[in-house]
Amino acid sequence: MLENLRRLGTYAGVRGLLLFFTVIVAVWLIILIANMGGAMDKIIESQIREQVGAMMQNPDLQQLPEGERKKIYDQHVEVLRIQYGLDRPFIERAFRYLWNGITLNLGYAERIHSDTGSRQVRLILVERLPYTLLLWGTAQFLLFSTSVFIALILSRRYGSFVDRLVVMLAPTSAPPAWFYGIILILIFASLLKVLPYGGFIDPLAPPTFLGRALSVLKHMVLPVSSVIVGGIFATIYSWRTFFLIYSSEDYVELARAKGLSSRSIERRYILRPTLPPIVTSFAMMLIAVWMGGVITETVFSWPGLGRMLYNAIAQNDTPVIVGANVIYGYLLAMSVFVLDILYAALDPRVRIGAVGGQRL
Amino acid sequence: MAKQTKSAVNLVNFGRSESATLLRVEDLKLYFRTTKGVVQAVDGVSFELGRRRSATVLGESGCGKTTLARAILRLLPRNVHTFSGKIVLDGVDLMPMNDEWFRKEIRWRKISFVPQAAMNALNPVLRVGHQIAEPLVVHHGVSQDAAFKRAVEAAKLVGLPEDFLSRYAFELSGGMRQRAIIAMALLTNPELIILDEPTSALDVLTQANIMNTLKKIKREFEMSYILITHDIATSSELADEVIVMYAGHIVEHSPAARFFKAPLHPYAQKLMASVPTLREDKELEFIPGQPPSLLNPPKGCRFAPRCPKRFERCAEEPPLFSLDGVSVVKCWLFAR
Amino acid sequence: MNLWARLQELRRYPSALVGLAAVGLLILMSVYAVVRYPYSEAIRLWRAGELTWLEYPRNAAPRWFNWFGADLPETISVTHERAKALHAEDLGGGVRRRTLSFSCDFLNGGGFPKELALFYEATFTRTPPQAVLTWRTPDGREIPIGTQVLRGGGRYIISADAALVKRLGGRPPHEALFAHPAEPGKPLRGRYELLVDLFTFEPQSEAQLKLIVYGQVHGWAGTDNLRRDLSIALLWGAPIAMVFGMSAALILTLWYLFISAVATWYGGWVDALVDRLTELRMILPLLPILIMVGMFWSRSLWIMLAVLILYGVIGGSKNYRAMYLQTRSLPYVEAARAYGAGNFRIIVRYLVPRFLPLTIPAFINAIPGYVFLEASLAVLGLGDPVLPTWGKVIQEASGFLYMGSSYYYWILLPAALLFLTGVGFAMVGIALDRIFNPRLRAI
Repeated sequence: MLENLRRLGTYAGVRGLLLFFTVIVAVWLIILIANMGGAMDKIIESQIREQVGAMMQNPDLQQLPEGERKKIYDQHVEVLRIQYGLDRPFIERAFRYLWNGITLNLGYAERIHSDTGSRQVRLILVERLPYTLLLWGTAQFLLFSTSVFIALILSRRYGSFVDRLVVMLAPTSAPPAWFYGIILILIFASLLKVLPYGGFIDPLAPPTFLGRALSVLKHMVLPVSSVIVGGIFATIYSWRTFFLIYSSEDYVELARAKGLSSRSIERRYILRPTLPPIVTSFAMMLIAVWMGGVITETVFSWPGLGRMLYNAIAQNDTPVIVGANVIYGYLLAMSVFVLDILYAALDPRVRIGAVGGQRL
Repeated sequence: MAKQTKSAVNLVNFGRSESATLLRVEDLKLYFRTTKGVVQAVDGVSFELGRRRSATVLGESGCGKTTLARAILRLLPRNVHTFSGKIVLDGVDLMPMNDEWFRKEIRWRKISFVPQAAMNALNPVLRVGHQIAEPLVVHHGVSQDAAFKRAVEAAKLVGLPEDFLSRYAFELSGGMRQRAIIAMALLTNPELIILDEPTSALDVLTQANIMNTLKKIKREFEMSYILITHDIATSSELADEVIVMYAGHIVEHSPAARFFKAPLHPYAQKLMASVPTLREDKELEFIPGQPPSLLNPPKGCRFAPRCPKRFERCAEEPPLFSLDGVSVVKCWLFAR
Repeated sequence: MNLWARLQELRRYPSALVGLAAVGLLILMSVYAVVRYPYSEAIRLWRAGELTWLEYPRNAAPRWFNWFGADLPETISVTHERAKALHAEDLGGGVRRRTLSFSCDFLNGGGFPKELALFYEATFTRTPPQAVLTWRTPDGREIPIGTQVLRGGGRYIISADAALVKRLGGRPPHEALFAHPAEPGKPLRGRYELLVDLFTFEPQSEAQLKLIVYGQVHGWAGTDNLRRDLSIALLWGAPIAMVFGMSAALILTLWYLFISAVATWYGGWVDALVDRLTELRMILPLLPILIMVGMFWSRSLWIMLAVLILYGVIGGSKNYRAMYLQTRSLPYVEAARAYGAGNFRIIVRYLVPRFLPLTIPAFINAIPGYVFLEASLAVLGLGDPVLPTWGKVIQEASGFLYMGSSYYYWILLPAALLFLTGVGFAMVGIALDRIFNPRLRAI
């Protein structure tokens, strides 16, 4: 057991390091793309403006005449420009931006504020994370668990009516969650008026914890439902197909011959070996989810990372847009990392093969 | 390995030490439904196997021998069309019993199974030792630790080193995996082990090794084997009796000594004639033509189209004729 | 090859046939769109300001609402040529008076006109013509509208005339002038006339008039708030979606086929490199990057497509890799190596053709994703600035969604078309998967 953990730890370490290098390249690319439109320089300039603006709040300076103040302002700006290397060749600036990106020093927003009033992009974005995680975590968890449960049942009933129904409905997962979100809003918020159009919480909700929690739950119903409706049939279909394929494996037949109960077989001989490739396809889905989340959160006005990105688009706030890209990059890298470790924990071939085993 | 005492929970009275017949199969039929029609894979097979006797089932690919093994173990696929007949084990007909009873009482308690090509027969995510020990835990309620200890003993018996048990299947070579599976089959001390081509995927040296192991086990324990193979050479070492199948039928069932010297059925004769021997200088023969399709088997003797000794009577399907009370042949040549 | 035979197997799957029908419909739509409104024409129409669309009703519903008993009016346009000249008088001094009758038959009982306007084009040197307008209802009432000075070209929006509203008792003219005297909530059906007493004050002065009674329904898709006929956007959405989706899917599927073959064949550092690149692609956030491109560079659809493809070619696809690994040790591949076949040859002649059938479902299944990606960008407001796409229409419509208005068709029609596209391709794709994927065939 300890041996296992040690192996896993080594694997995690190696993967983490490799992934980190990939993150560096990713951030660099993001910055490159951003700066094609001159965005990076704009960010630094806004940062300078922010800092000089703060400096100019000094009461002594406030008393000086207009012309004087402008001169000092320009001076400070010039000093900072040199300090931030805006006068240097691009290649040097690129390295500075890269360093900033990796260390999540994302500058200051042009127009947007965080909940606490700060204009730090990092703060603005990180504040949004819990909301996004709450919504997507819940939705994914529900989708995942119900799909596995139903798929396992269906794999025992190949060709049954429900089975064929699921196969027929699988294509309905082609549209993304936000698409169903719009439809659900039309039905339940606009037409039937039973659920809210969007938002996180009802401002008039009772101030008790329970009251607020219930209000949040009410606001989560439609977005979570749109994720589930938009994904359930294809997810069940893909799991059930996996299970069917894997239940025709030789070792499953031997397990049956051994007289193991069907529950035992399902658990140890079908589910367990299927988990690694399921985890891979789950990773793919998760990535698509992070991306689609931008619009879903926008449609439901859910105050998460995606919506913040949309706000930044609407308000043309460059630093936030670029910063969001970097944060998303990190989030995706972390998802990939966690899922890789999970895969290694589930599939001994990866664990042992990675550290070098031999055939005996 | 000490003899395992039967657990007390035994709903059906198996007459163990009473009769000399362990297994009696009567008119077993197993047909499959396919997109092209109904395949009559096993078509009315009957035979008896005595206690502590081992039989080998010979035949070409597609003759139904693997299906026969699966039929006895009730390992049926989804598209079964017909499954009828009698399978009497220790005096109890297994056919009418429900699946749950079959699973608990028969599978791996009375009958074990060593499948073909053990490449993929072991669960890749579980350790080998646990898989070997599993049946003991499931069928006899033995604790994990005790079962593992017994697994170690069984592994030693088949020549599998102990530390291999804590490894995963992919870390073992083909020969080692097969040994693990044989150990697994022995563990619950079944009365009958069915082996389906246990060595066909292995190299010759490993084959010899495994065969020796099986011979040793046969000597030391009171088990019956049914060894299914198309390799005549290996079967001659283990078998007391030989059953030859062709196109879903049993065409000959003889004691081994007699069979390998002088097979009775023309098909069996052709088979033996096609095997090269070390000491004789013989002309190898081959059998022209193909076995018939089991989708729509021809009327009459199924081997007749390829048989050099066919005559008019062969247009009618021959019954099984008994010869000297020891052999059974499905051929008009032996009609009285 | 038995590729065609395999494809015939699609007939066994009813869902695939439905999907094929949907795709066929979309292709027909695309062809029709391109033929009916050529590319530059479509862009011109869609970008045009209100001037091009002035004679169309605003936010009109689709015509087929009337099939469900709505009985809503369509736009009636009475041109100068169709007006009856009732009377002509020469009042001397270059002043002429002509009385024209613009009549229209209003026969729908389900709703009032949306707007009422009189378009005019007048030529004069110094003194513009004037028109005295009187409204005559089917039951003979005559309601004076007022006098309009026809200065050049323009339109008199009768229904927006505040003074007229007051005179009619506070009710908007397009309702008041058509109201049934006994049941004011419903329109009076019959022939209405706008009597125009046209006075021209110069011998050469002329005026051309056109009466437009705006309907509440128009076309098969209705109109939007800029009066544009939505059917143009809905039709053109099809070829755009198809071209975008299919070209991205085709190029990337073929690329993954090739790169996976190369990576697994050469193994070693090539394989590791492709692995790292695939990982890089996985952590580069596609949509945010496209957002950056849209915000900082250009929103052109073709640029987005190019960036999307550039993104996609970074690395390979995880799915193919496992399958290729098995082929390395296949006997005929080893045989090819034995007879001295070069690496490239083996890849191109042995590995790739083996997996070509698998790319067919992969290609079809990838299309919906890209179609919705384009729609996603449009919904975010980063759609192509000139091209009419379905996502664009949804985005424009959703601005009005929360105002409680009932223009459901404006969102639902493009949404339905998007759904049809996505689900249609997915149906075919899933069936193809069951045919071509060897593991699925075994079930």
